[in-house]
Amino acid sequence: MKKRPILALLVLAAAASFVSCGRSTPVLNIYTWAEYFKPDIIRRFERENGCRVVIDTFDSNEAMYAKLKAGASGYDLLTPSSYMVSLMSSQEMLQPLDHGLLPNLTHVDPEYLKIAIDKTMHHSVPYMIVNTGLAYLKSKVADFVPSWSMFDRADLKGRMTLLNDMRETIGAGLKSLGYSLNSTDPRELRQAKEVVLRWRAHIAKFENEQYKNGIASGEFLLVHSYSGDILQVQRENPDVAFAIPREGTAISVDDLVIPKTAGEVRLAHAFINFLHDPRTAAENTVFLSYLCPNKEGYALLSAELRNNPAVFMNPELRARSEIFADLGADNALYVKIWDEIKSAK
Amino acid sequence: MKRSRLPLLVTIAVLFFFYLPIIILVVNSFNASRFGTGWQGFSMRWYARLLHEPEIWRAARNSLVIALGATALSVVFGTAAAFALHRFAWSRLQRFHYGLVYMPLVVPEILMGISLLMAFAAAGVRLGLGTIFLAHVTFCVSFVAMTVLARLQDFDFAVIEAAQDLGAGWGTTLRKVFLPLIAPGILAGALLAFTLSIDDFVITFFVAGPGSTTLPIRIYSMIKYGSPPLINALSTILLTVTFTAVVISQRISRSKG
Repeated sequence: MKKRPILALLVLAAAASFVSCGRSTPVLNIYTWAEYFKPDIIRRFERENGCRVVIDTFDSNEAMYAKLKAGASGYDLLTPSSYMVSLMSSQEMLQPLDHGLLPNLTHVDPEYLKIAIDKTMHHSVPYMIVNTGLAYLKSKVADFVPSWSMFDRADLKGRMTLLNDMRETIGAGLKSLGYSLNSTDPRELRQAKEVVLRWRAHIAKFENEQYKNGIASGEFLLVHSYSGDILQVQRENPDVAFAIPREGTAISVDDLVIPKTAGEVRLAHAFINFLHDPRTAAENTVFLSYLCPNKEGYALLSAELRNNPAVFMNPELRARSEIFADLGADNALYVKIWDEIKSAK
Repeated sequence: MKRSRLPLLVTIAVLFFFYLPIIILVVNSFNASRFGTGWQGFSMRWYARLLHEPEIWRAARNSLVIALGATALSVVFGTAAAFALHRFAWSRLQRFHYGLVYMPLVVPEILMGISLLMAFAAAGVRLGLGTIFLAHVTFCVSFVAMTVLARLQDFDFAVIEAAQDLGAGWGTTLRKVFLPLIAPGILAGALLAFTLSIDDFVITFFVAGPGSTTLPIRIYSMIKYGSPPLINALSTILLTVTFTAVVISQRISRSKG
């Protein structure tokens, strides 16, 4: 029989790969979204710090949380969204940061820290910022106004999409009425529900992914969307424009945090510090089409990016916009309303 | 009497339904457009970019190593389990054994993933390729055992007795008589185990540790936040490799038979 030596070889090969090689160089294990760091930057960090960086990816905050909560360890740096950071922090899953190791934090844009949840960067440092807004086709949408009320326009009926995201879409309803998108007032939420139900009659569907293709191909004329996505679409279809509604919008921030179970705490600090080096911050911003809130880094960006409303929000609008907070038990209020919206005839 | 054309039409419809998505995927992998919105010209750019994505290749390597390793080990365990289940008296203990082997086929994946993770965490095992390998063997063994067991149902044990009667020792009987006869069952089980292991997402997600991202986890994350055309290119390469492997293995088995 020839089979057995082959089997033995396979088992050996499998076993050999479990023994991790190179114990001498320290390894930084990062758990993050796919394609969230420019590869050159990672290589530069490895060279400068004489270490190896290993990147693993997750696809949702909730999945990452469930995994860590169930006991997974070994990760030194995570990039969850702000609301997940506050949840993890309240469960004491995160380490306080040592500011002595993070001299570059002085470059972090104070305007964003004003609206941040962790204002003192006690356990989290903002990494990337995305705005929610309206993308539309300039040639097809007559007299566009930057307002959530666009979803009431009968002439765009069936050619618009809202995000299939509870907090984003109910939040848009709340903002259109002038309320906070973290409101837990039942009366305000009821009004917001009525607004979203009214919009629902005009939209094609609730959509989180395919709107990019839809607006690029002209199937949809106006979509509730994330700025970074639209910047990518604009490279293909220059007719697509992006605007922030004048009533204000949602700002999503992904933060850099170090879990309690981290092994390479010093190296993780060094990486956070490295990401807020103005040059690195600017390179990452260009690579990702999101904004790294690094004041000194802004100066290194092209004029085109600096004048793009999808990247740099006008300060007045930013003052009217908010970051989603973790609502704790009050989250149930939203879930109930969202169910009613989704199931309404 | 004229034959009905319905079977032909149904066959064509089914084949169309099966293969159209794959054809679209392959065609789109050569599309210059990032969003697959209409044809923007033939381009190899996604394949070119794939060459510069070491993370994807590492994930592919992880997947392959685990799938090959898990298949090898689960074939040994699964065949042994199937043999024991078939050969020995259908006692209460054996029925319990059957239940244990059968269990992973019916337990929801998410439950298995999270319970394995909790077990590993409680035992203080460092998560990584090793834990994924163990988890995959755990569910692959059952599939191999069931496939081999089915093959054993119409296996004539008189053949074994005859071999021993003619002076063959246990080792010789195993190698020259038993294994060749149930080889198709083992091969089918191995292929099933390999396929299940290489595209498992749910269980793998939970038991994966630092540096052990597999291809399905990578792809899933890329669909949401990365570049879908890269996935199309990667899938096309995988399809080509799989088809080639199948064709070669059919050639080999035909030349033997």
